[in-house]
Amino acid sequence: MTRLRTLTFAALAASVVAATGAAPASAQTTTGPGQIGPLQIGLIAPLSGIYARPGQVMKMGAELGIEDVNAAGGIKCLGGAPLKLVTIDSGDSVEKATNAAQRMVAEYPELVGGTGSYLSSFTLAVTEVTERANLPLLTLSYSDLITERGFKTVFQTSATAGAQASIALPIIMDLAESETGRRPKTVAIITDNTAASLSSVKRMKDGLLQRLGLEIVMEETFTPPLADASSLVQRVRTSRPDLLLFLPTVISDANLILQKLREFRVSVPTISFGIAIAEPEVLNVMDARLVEGVMSAVANWGVKGQEALIKRLKDRYGEPWMTQNAISTYGDMWLFKTALEKSCSRDRQKLAEALRTLDGGPSQYYPGGTIRFDDKGRRIGASLTIIQWRDGVPVTIFPTDLAVAKPVWPKP
Amino acid sequence: MAFLRSLLPYFTFAAGYLVVAMLVENSYYQLIITLVLVWASFGLSWNMLSGYTGLISFGHASFFGLGAFATVLAQIHLGWSPWIMLPVSALIGALAGVLIGLPTFRLRGHYFALSMLAYPLAMSYVFQWLGKPEITIPRVLDHPALFLQFEDRRVYSVLALLLLTVIVVITRWIERTRFGMSLVAIKQNEAAAEAAGVDTLRWKLKAIAVSGAIAGAVGSFYAVVILVITPSSVFGMLVSAQALTVAMFGGVGTVWGPIIGATVLIPIAETLHAVIGSYLPGIQGVIYGLAIIILIIAAPEGVFWKGVDLIRRRRVPAAGTVPSGAGGVSRAASVEPAGGASPASRISDRIMLDVRGVSKRFGGLRAVRNVSFQVRKGEILGIIGPNGAGKTTLFNLLNGFQKPDQGQVLLHGSDLAGCRPHFACRAGIGRTFQVMRPFKRWSVANNVKVGAYVRAASEEEARAIAREAVAQVGLSAISDRPASALTTKQLRLLELARAIAGRPEILLLDETLAGLGSEEAKEVVAVIRTLAATGLTILIIEHTMQAMVQLVDRFIVLDHGQLLTEGLPEAIVKDPRVIEAYLGAKWAAHA
Repeated sequence: MTRLRTLTFAALAASVVAATGAAPASAQTTTGPGQIGPLQIGLIAPLSGIYARPGQVMKMGAELGIEDVNAAGGIKCLGGAPLKLVTIDSGDSVEKATNAAQRMVAEYPELVGGTGSYLSSFTLAVTEVTERANLPLLTLSYSDLITERGFKTVFQTSATAGAQASIALPIIMDLAESETGRRPKTVAIITDNTAASLSSVKRMKDGLLQRLGLEIVMEETFTPPLADASSLVQRVRTSRPDLLLFLPTVISDANLILQKLREFRVSVPTISFGIAIAEPEVLNVMDARLVEGVMSAVANWGVKGQEALIKRLKDRYGEPWMTQNAISTYGDMWLFKTALEKSCSRDRQKLAEALRTLDGGPSQYYPGGTIRFDDKGRRIGASLTIIQWRDGVPVTIFPTDLAVAKPVWPKP
Repeated sequence: MAFLRSLLPYFTFAAGYLVVAMLVENSYYQLIITLVLVWASFGLSWNMLSGYTGLISFGHASFFGLGAFATVLAQIHLGWSPWIMLPVSALIGALAGVLIGLPTFRLRGHYFALSMLAYPLAMSYVFQWLGKPEITIPRVLDHPALFLQFEDRRVYSVLALLLLTVIVVITRWIERTRFGMSLVAIKQNEAAAEAAGVDTLRWKLKAIAVSGAIAGAVGSFYAVVILVITPSSVFGMLVSAQALTVAMFGGVGTVWGPIIGATVLIPIAETLHAVIGSYLPGIQGVIYGLAIIILIIAAPEGVFWKGVDLIRRRRVPAAGTVPSGAGGVSRAASVEPAGGASPASRISDRIMLDVRGVSKRFGGLRAVRNVSFQVRKGEILGIIGPNGAGKTTLFNLLNGFQKPDQGQVLLHGSDLAGCRPHFACRAGIGRTFQVMRPFKRWSVANNVKVGAYVRAASEEEARAIAREAVAQVGLSAISDRPASALTTKQLRLLELARAIAGRPEILLLDETLAGLGSEEAKEVVAVIRTLAATGLTILIIEHTMQAMVQLVDRFIVLDHGQLLTEGLPEAIVKDPRVIEAYLGAKWAAHA
């Protein structure tokens, strides 16, 4: 139906003059109030282009989440109504994301909520549309700007980029001191120019590094995708920092830089931000020994107690481990269930209201804090996880209670 | 009136589009309807510079992005409404156009295209560096309409249509006036345009300013529609490419090109993304790319021109009944007796052009060495000499294409040496070229009109002057025919007409008889003679000695850049030095 109408539209727009009032009627399925028709949840994420891979992992997490919610009896308050996933490709540009969001709200008027859209620029664009359509949207994107616009229907489940740097760096400094006996003094920063990375770096430079006694000896910003990392890595080598902070967003960039670091035999303890250096693809181009010990601060990761879920992800989709994109999106489905039980309605505005006032107790699928949102829509007490490559698998080493391994300071 | 009538097809299109836009309630389709208009407008901005002047720009995102960023930043930091920023962005775009144009117009061809590419890249980094990786237009809840924010998305489509209409009217107006004609003249042959009196740099700057203004306004509106902008979403390579794609797909150098391109491509790309993309993500890009490649191969100049050619081809049998060019010239040829008036009565004693000791050196080659001669009013002076003797270089020195290292070129006593060609043209020196490059799709009359602008105050006057010039060379019967349908002889006459439309006092003709058969050459010679009869002074370079001896009053002979000799035709053809220079010492002995 949707496809047919979209095609009709193409023909229509191509020959605009031949208009005969063929305006498409809005899509309506026949679910009336009180019936046990499924509740539609949208996943709007990049499924094509250079950010496609994280989008696909989000989809896996969403599918597992919906399956588990439904297996647990759906939304009991609404007569056990199941959740149903609607997937929309947000593409690889801000304009495509805007178009996709507009398509989502126009074509699926029955959606009660949604989750998306990985890159914070896309999330910003998508939420400009969903806010106006009163559609509640959960997001794992970090950018502080997302929840600084006074929007009422956007809920950020991760710690914001600014917050993440201030949580992670002190932990890492303590770790270095306890393992090596001395605190790092100098730091090099390599970052791409996506908004989340830049706002992390901004926070670091706005006093955080100074408070930690770290001096920046080299800083370089690049535009993804990177063609050659030689000069970047060469600069790291000549500046001889105690610590390298590394903030890529695109997997191929992370690979390229890690590879070059090894090729040039640069053995600086490397702390990354984000999941690009911990995607399974890293092992396609690098030997696991080369990344051994590399750490990354990520918003979320598979942790202790989720072993069964991690195994299902591996069996079903062949994903070797549970990244932030899978676990957060999985958790989003449970969050929607909790909120829907509270709003007990198919109305999206009531769902948004329920999310704003929810008190869901300690968080199970997001690290730290509780299932409560502040006035801006940020999850209260949101923390992060720190992961480390160990024997070919990135595992959680912080928070301590969720860690599956003890941290080890990478030996230079 | 004719101007409004020419816009009729557009207004029909706009009315139809408006009806569709009003009927569509689905907000997603409404967004696409708006974006089609936005990209059509942006394509027209690109077309304004690159379509008409032929200077391909890969960097139109510069103006677009500046407009977008200015609009969003002004609302965030100054609280200014996009209603204000729309015209302000146009100003910013125009200013950026001039600033970018001034240094970049020194380059031509690929070099121009590539350096244009650099500007948006640089600006993208500047905005990154300023800490603006992504910004959004603040949502306004009180009186949103004052900030160009509307619940009903149809309003955006109406506004976009208004914007497009303004741009189309401006473009059509420019296309029909000397502005547009000058730009196209630059595209066909920048040197010829300069020689015809067109101040090419000034027009190019005007074109990039108008183009930048349009792009700035469109960028501003785009930001309002999309609400979120990042440096890569407004300064990115894909933004510049979008302008090229819609314009090249639809047709370059016409107001219809970008409109056709956007109306077809934007919905197709979006439909592919929405339909196929959900089954096989990414495949939409492959299909879209292939479709464009196939179309460009099938219609390299764009859909519009392909259509025009198809229609023209169907009309060709009818056109075959129009009298052939030979008939056209006969009238001029019949005036021959007038042209044949005795040289003595034609030539006055006044010195028109006084060339004093001009020299030009290219590295070690002394192309022209200390050449001096005088030309009297009404005289036909032939310049001959073997290949490489410096004849064309001498012409270039006379009308300003090259600056002499030494010497003076006095026209009516004032020195023109080193003036730009369009200035020389204004001063009264007209010129034709060895290689003809008329604008093929234009009619004879319009081709000639370009030359008339230098003397005409209005369009009317330019048309009248052009009509007269066309009649003088005897092409009146075919003045509506496109230049692409002319024979070599007719093209030579067209060039002559364009040169005399500038009402020159001196006409420099560079190998005007080249490539003509002896009969055809006679006809052209007859025309040149009638021109001389009107009091025009003519300098002609020619190899066809037979025709020259009949035509000219006096020869000057150049060899190795030096003036070998000068004199009457009878004397020159017998001069041993001339024969030696042309044929070698062996033949000189027989003279």
